[in-house]
Amino acid sequence: MDETVAEYIRRTVLKMPRDEIKTMLQKWGFLSEAQLQTLNFHQIKDNISQEVVQLCEENSADIKQAAVLDIIYNHIYQNKRMWSVYQMKKSAEELEYFDITDFKKKFKGRLRSALKNVTITFREYEDNAIWIRVAWGTPYKKPNQYKPSYVVYHSQTPYVFISASVLKSNLPLLCQALIVASNYHDIREMELRSHSLNSLKDIVFKRYSQNFQTDYSKPLQGENVEPENADLRIVQENRSEKERIHRLNREVFGDGPQPKLEFAQYRLETMFKSDPKMDVLDKKEPFRCLVKFSSPHLLESLKSLAPAGMADAPLSPLLTCIPQKARNYFKIREKKGFNPESFVSP
Amino acid sequence: GVLAHLEMLEARAHQEAVEQEEKEQREERLAFLKARVQELRLQRDELRDKLDRQEKAQLGKEGIVSDPALPSPRAVLEWKIRSLRGLLQVFQLTGFSGKLSRRGLRFSLRTSYEGSYLDSFHLELLLRPEFRIRRHSVPAFIPLEQLARKFLPSDLRSFLNVLSQHLNGFVGRRHQAEQLQEQFSEWLQGAPRGNSLCNLLTFRYSIPGKSQNSRNFPFRARLLYGDPCRSLPTEVAVSCSPDAPAPLAEAAAAHSELFRSLALPRAFRSL
Repeated sequence: MDETVAEYIRRTVLKMPRDEIKTMLQKWGFLSEAQLQTLNFHQIKDNISQEVVQLCEENSADIKQAAVLDIIYNHIYQNKRMWSVYQMKKSAEELEYFDITDFKKKFKGRLRSALKNVTITFREYEDNAIWIRVAWGTPYKKPNQYKPSYVVYHSQTPYVFISASVLKSNLPLLCQALIVASNYHDIREMELRSHSLNSLKDIVFKRYSQNFQTDYSKPLQGENVEPENADLRIVQENRSEKERIHRLNREVFGDGPQPKLEFAQYRLETMFKSDPKMDVLDKKEPFRCLVKFSSPHLLESLKSLAPAGMADAPLSPLLTCIPQKARNYFKIREKKGFNPESFVSP
Repeated sequence: GVLAHLEMLEARAHQEAVEQEEKEQREERLAFLKARVQELRLQRDELRDKLDRQEKAQLGKEGIVSDPALPSPRAVLEWKIRSLRGLLQVFQLTGFSGKLSRRGLRFSLRTSYEGSYLDSFHLELLLRPEFRIRRHSVPAFIPLEQLARKFLPSDLRSFLNVLSQHLNGFVGRRHQAEQLQEQFSEWLQGAPRGNSLCNLLTFRYSIPGKSQNSRNFPFRARLLYGDPCRSLPTEVAVSCSPDAPAPLAEAAAAHSELFRSLALPRAFRSL
């Protein structure tokens, strides 16, 4: 077995938390149950990984199998990576029968024809997600297995989720291979990024709970705006205001959990509006400013702003349109004329 | 004795006085409300007369000159609303329900397959200046934009119809694949391979007990669903592994016919 492969497997096992190593190796399926039984998972990880490498040596593992193990690790710990969403465009409108073998062949063919030194690995999951791992090399160097790119694609959808490696120069090639393999003709990056891959999928596949009810004047049965106070001496002075806020919040955010985003960024290119007497800026230039909202769970925190009394309800549509517009990077330009909907650039 | 009796009488008298007062108050209020109702009715009749007179005056003025075929914009809007309501009532039976909200029209499409209700999908349409999709919860592999381009804004009815067929077809195919895996997992080798739209399904299977070596999964099936609105395949290819005995090979052709005409779980039950 190649030394680089051995080292790669060792390092991959070291990344795994100790109590997960066994399940991941089982999912991998490269080592037999009997071999797994011989491993002692209670020793320090260094020793575990050495033993795993020895077993792989017995089975003559090559880079292809090692790459599969890497995909398994990254599939379970997908939230450690930053994912961007890309949208593909199609000119033809006829029905597609997506065939995975066809897709794989075209993808590999396109990549390999441009770059000979690549390692390409596929893995399909139950929810029709196709995971692709690509390790990049150069015409003169073997692929760097420690900086691969990951692509997640659901067949027959125009969306691709890419976690690019640091080597961004290979991105155009990757995008090209994707559109060729999936029969689209164009691809562009959407302004949507997050660590939570599932939340990104929820947003573009419209799986999050949008509210489509029209009547919020009556609360749901069994639901109270606030818990019943045991002490009747406490009277809520602004009960109706609280109910109004609650109702507006439900209309905007719906009832279910929100997709998990970590930030929203607004790049302002608007003019600075000051008191004309003060004359702060005599040049009529846009005041460049970047506003960034960060949170472990941005949309849930926005949802709780109004009920907590920290913001007025309804919230600004710039904040609430994030899941519907499927973006968390915005450019705001000057309002030109009376056109309230269009001042956010697409 | 006597004092207690007196007290009781006093209390009773007091009670009756209170009740009498309440009754008088109620009657007073009732009389007042009746008078108010009369007043409002008079007002309403007056306004009605006024309206009639105005309309007659208008007609009288332009009765001969105006073009009777040109309805007022208000009448057009009323007609639009009436026809939409009619549309909504008709479609309620096919799993549609709609609500007119201040922002537009909201539709819910409830899909069903073989008598059981499955997923619901939602659409919100803007009405002005013309029908346009504002929001939806339709999955990305259903060609929603394509259908909208083809049918909207002029033909809302066909748009909803065709969309419903696409959704019902998809949900039906997906349901069949899930049921097949649930009910016949020992007959299949692994899981059937498909795609998001469930319009291509491949799997290897065997019939336990009937074939000699059922470990082998001799049959290979490939189902192509050419019509996205239907839940039955348009092309079926069932082949048998070359080393299988002859009767199995013949059975393959029969299976092919079966898959083409019956839903998958039912087809398997009759194998």
